[in-house]
Amino acid sequence: MTQSENIVPLLPLWGKRPIHRLPLIVVGDLIRSRHLLKLLVKRDLSGRYRRAYLGYTWAVLEPLLLAIVYSFIFTILVGSSDPLYPVKIVIGVIGWSLFARSLTTSTKSLSNSINLFQFARVPKTVFATSGTLTNVVLASISLTSILPFYFINDLTISINLLMLPFWLLMLSFTGWGIGLLLAPIACKVPDVHNLINFLVRVGFFLSPVMWTYDMFGRRFGDGWHSVVAHLNPTIIPITGMRDSILGEASAIPHYGYFMCFGIALLGFIFGAIIFERKAHRAVVNI
Amino acid sequence: MTTVMLLENVTLQYPIPRRYKKGNIKPSGVRNISLKVKQGEVFGIIGRNGSGKSTLLKMMAGVFPPDSGSIAIRGSVSLLAGVGVGFHKDLTGRENTYLYGALMGRSKEQIDGLIDEIQEFAELEHHFERPIRTYSSGMKARLGISVATSFKPDVLLIDELLGVGDAAFKEKSRAKVRELIDASGSVVIVSHSYTMLKQICDRIMVLDQGGIVCLDSAEKAIEVYQKMLQV
Repeated sequence: MTQSENIVPLLPLWGKRPIHRLPLIVVGDLIRSRHLLKLLVKRDLSGRYRRAYLGYTWAVLEPLLLAIVYSFIFTILVGSSDPLYPVKIVIGVIGWSLFARSLTTSTKSLSNSINLFQFARVPKTVFATSGTLTNVVLASISLTSILPFYFINDLTISINLLMLPFWLLMLSFTGWGIGLLLAPIACKVPDVHNLINFLVRVGFFLSPVMWTYDMFGRRFGDGWHSVVAHLNPTIIPITGMRDSILGEASAIPHYGYFMCFGIALLGFIFGAIIFERKAHRAVVNI
Repeated sequence: MTTVMLLENVTLQYPIPRRYKKGNIKPSGVRNISLKVKQGEVFGIIGRNGSGKSTLLKMMAGVFPPDSGSIAIRGSVSLLAGVGVGFHKDLTGRENTYLYGALMGRSKEQIDGLIDEIQEFAELEHHFERPIRTYSSGMKARLGISVATSFKPDVLLIDELLGVGDAAFKEKSRAKVRELIDASGSVVIVSHSYTMLKQICDRIMVLDQGGIVCLDSAEKAIEVYQKMLQV
């Protein structure tokens, strides 16, 4: 008997796995593939602005330019007199972009990465995750665009700032989980990509990018409107980002937090289950 | 000899696109494939276009799951398919090698130990530090073969790639595959070139319309394939 025969048994490629263990299997696969994840994030980051003269400066410029345009339009339309409104828009744009990009990159991960898992057995969740982590890094770079506002608006750094990474991760985690759920369906029904693009455009207006949690509270109060609004999983994290950076404390009800964390957790659990059960077969459709 | 890969009644059918469903189109794929690949064996697969060769390799690599049947493998498996598959056009040859190695589950240290050998075998010299998008097809294929064979999977699957490059490189690639087999690896190779398969394979399977027509010694299988082409 050879050495390899002693060590490696003949193992089935597609063994049955109990449904309740699938989310844990996803986490285990990602931990084992951390070296690959690191390389994929590095690849995505170096490819993102490789041919642009301004390089990563675009990650900072984009939200700033959008904030200038939106502030201008919103001031004309609503006549907002809040001096912090521009910085709130920058934070909203960065937070929303992180969620939207995490959702779209993980939804498209199977069709976009087919070239990479055609020659070896690799956990396919790695590709959805690397795209999401890349977006987290880009959002972190974009957040440096906030720095000038600390001087312009005479802001002070509070202890709340420590919560900023948490809210960033919440946004990306939620987008990633929902994206995992949709990725196998998108392979079979390409229309899902169009639907997601549409929802991302609509979601921009339904999320606190151009408006704030306080504005919503003043307009609709604390009735059923508020409960329905909290079904949008970006409301609490984007408001959390603003509170962390500006040292404010929005009056978020307890059920708002429960709904936000619940949607994120359910998105991950169902996303992991659907992805692990369907993704391998779905790639045959690509 | 030890079995390194076992396929039992493996079937996979590609879905027929909705717009073709009304027509009389048979689903393509593979059906009821059973075979064993032994340790140190060079196993060839030959067949007409659309006979299911590449689909079968992808199933052996664990890329596609079968609709029914089972596949079992001893150790690691890697598929070398198409020029530049797995490479990112904006990354250099070196960066792509690290990425490819990681996709095959190798650590940075393991890749560090092989990088010089890979660079030398691929004959890329200073191009190794340039982005893949500047490479010719031949250069990409040389890098692909060099990387895939250097990581020495227990089972290497090759889809139509040993015919790339000039005559000297073809000979070098075949020698590399032999070297891999000597290191107790096994190779499953798909090709249309029956002369080449006859030279390097121990056994050959002839596929047609997704089913096995013949699984025999290289000479006998090629004889069956040639008769099949004449019909």
